[in-house]
Amino acid sequence: MSTPLLQRFKLSGGGGSALKVRVIGVLAFQLLLVVIFGVLAPRFLSWDNAQSILFTAAILAMAAAGQTLVVLTGNLDLSVGSIMGLCAYVVFDVASQHTWLMGLTVPFAILLGAALGAINGLLVTYLKIPAMVATLGTLSVYRGMVSFYANAMEVTSGELPGWIRDLATARWLGLSSYVWIAAGLVALVGLVLSRLPWGRKLYAYGSNPRAAYYYGLNENRILIGAYVAAGAIAGFVGLLLGAQVGNINSLVASGFEMQVLAAVVIGGVSIWGGSGSVYGAALGAIVLATINNGLVLLGVQEFYRLLFQGVAIVAAVAVDALVQKRVLSATSRRSILEVAA
Amino acid sequence: MTRIARKFSAELLLVVLIVLAGLWSAQLSPYFLDLNNLMNSAAFFVVFGLMAFGLFPVVVQGEIDISLASTLAVASVLFAKLSVSGVPVLVALPIVLVVTGGLGAINGLLVAYGGLPSLAVTLGTLGAYRGIAYLLAGDAGVTGLTDDYTLLGQSWVGVVPSTVVLFLVFALVIGVLMETTKFGRYSYALGANPAASRTAAAPVRQTRVAAYALAGVAAGLAGFVWVNQYQSARGDNADGAILFVLTAVVLGGVSIKGGSGRALGVLLSTVLLATIQTGMKLANVPGTSQTLVVGLLLIAAIGGPTLVQLIRNGVGKLRPAAPARG
Repeated sequence: MSTPLLQRFKLSGGGGSALKVRVIGVLAFQLLLVVIFGVLAPRFLSWDNAQSILFTAAILAMAAAGQTLVVLTGNLDLSVGSIMGLCAYVVFDVASQHTWLMGLTVPFAILLGAALGAINGLLVTYLKIPAMVATLGTLSVYRGMVSFYANAMEVTSGELPGWIRDLATARWLGLSSYVWIAAGLVALVGLVLSRLPWGRKLYAYGSNPRAAYYYGLNENRILIGAYVAAGAIAGFVGLLLGAQVGNINSLVASGFEMQVLAAVVIGGVSIWGGSGSVYGAALGAIVLATINNGLVLLGVQEFYRLLFQGVAIVAAVAVDALVQKRVLSATSRRSILEVAA
Repeated sequence: MTRIARKFSAELLLVVLIVLAGLWSAQLSPYFLDLNNLMNSAAFFVVFGLMAFGLFPVVVQGEIDISLASTLAVASVLFAKLSVSGVPVLVALPIVLVVTGGLGAINGLLVAYGGLPSLAVTLGTLGAYRGIAYLLAGDAGVTGLTDDYTLLGQSWVGVVPSTVVLFLVFALVIGVLMETTKFGRYSYALGANPAASRTAAAPVRQTRVAAYALAGVAAGLAGFVWVNQYQSARGDNADGAILFVLTAVVLGGVSIKGGSGRALGVLLSTVLLATIQTGMKLANVPGTSQTLVVGLLLIAAIGGPTLVQLIRNGVGKLRPAAPARG
């Protein structure tokens, strides 16, 4: 009995350590970036610049936290940028016209985002539309709705509620308020994933939907929940992004989904679902923000960013494929040994 | 007769919808049914149609390629660059098509041999190829193309613009390829059941790479039509066109899960989308609101049948079915 137990321990370590190596790999990549940019552009290593990187990463990390919930189930949400834009424009426009609503902008944005996310979830679960197609559709539908609503108008920064304008520029303990909000949100999502039953179910469903079904998990409830939460977070982040941008038109955050997905995938959340963490996604956001910042400091054309980002996505997924192979072979060997014992 | 009607029911529905959309557009503007207007409008959608027929075999195989519009941008910029440096168009055409076919093949190699999910791969190359296009074109883009590169956009075969003829020929080639060749049969088999195809010793990987390379060539041709029609090229050419292209494929009855769909359906759905968009343009619907309609059509095309089924079964009795994956 003792031998298989020992082997089991070792073999499960084989899969687990592959996952650990994945996170360490991202960390090492980040360090490498810091060293390279630090050598090439001396200004890169200043405290001001670090703050600017963190500020960029904060918004990306929050959006990536929402996306992580969906990607963990083995699906994805391409409409995140459109939800952000729609919530930012509609909420600020309504608030600028009805001043008594100014205090309620945050719950309003969260509710609106959650409703849009729920539509995504319903399309994927009840109408059984593949997530990629459903959210590609809602990407344009939501964007079309906001441009229809906006009618080529703008909400200027003067019309925004004063407190949210102050929030965008506020500093708490030397860091931008957004960085603290992002840290809080990422920690909250991380806790939900690791402590609440729903979080565990998300991983269970993502790693094996069929097994989760036979176990008795409600597929629809898990999936719709993930989309609603992702939508709510996107609505909230859209609000913060809008406050930072100032003058809001119907194109806010268009194309943002690319960066969000890149952050999630680079951060080690498996595109097959069931594996990865929200902290990894936040790390991915920091990596992306570092690349953006460094390339700007080096005076490299903006276009290289697209190229780097694209290559980074493919590279990260390729590494994930290797990790998945390791984990799968480790677990299948283990189950064979268990049967033998 | 009924058997034929049943086999082509999706196509018949599309024809009915095209007629309805045409009537609606004619209602909006007396100029819609003008032959010149109709042909000019058709020419505008050739670029999208070519990409749709490039995407069609890929989707039949159960995969996806969302990088096609970026490949188009690489092609259009390359054509413009070659034109400005004095390369004759007949030399440039094979060069660019080989390059874009290669870009497609890179997608295919990563999917087929790397075992990576096609969505993630082409999401990556969507950005990467767009970056390449920008790098080649520079900030301002490329203008001042020589006449031989823009000839096709200003010539007609009878009353039909040459670009439309090019599209119809390409559609026919893809249709014949999918219906009569080994590549076509393997594609349907692969989409219907990849594991069974592998067991049956079908050349799974080669067929996948071939489909992606073909899609790249189609995007290259679309880039050629682009420079012919617009006489210039920029890095952001056709950005976001994939929504229209994917909608055309899926609306044409090609299952997004692979294994089914016919070229005729894709052709008809391209015509339908073109008619609707032209109608909206005549009605002065702004561009972004047009994408709203296309997005709704995409969702309706895939979700519609399930919705009908749901209503028929009664939503109350609904139980989550066992997911197919796993």
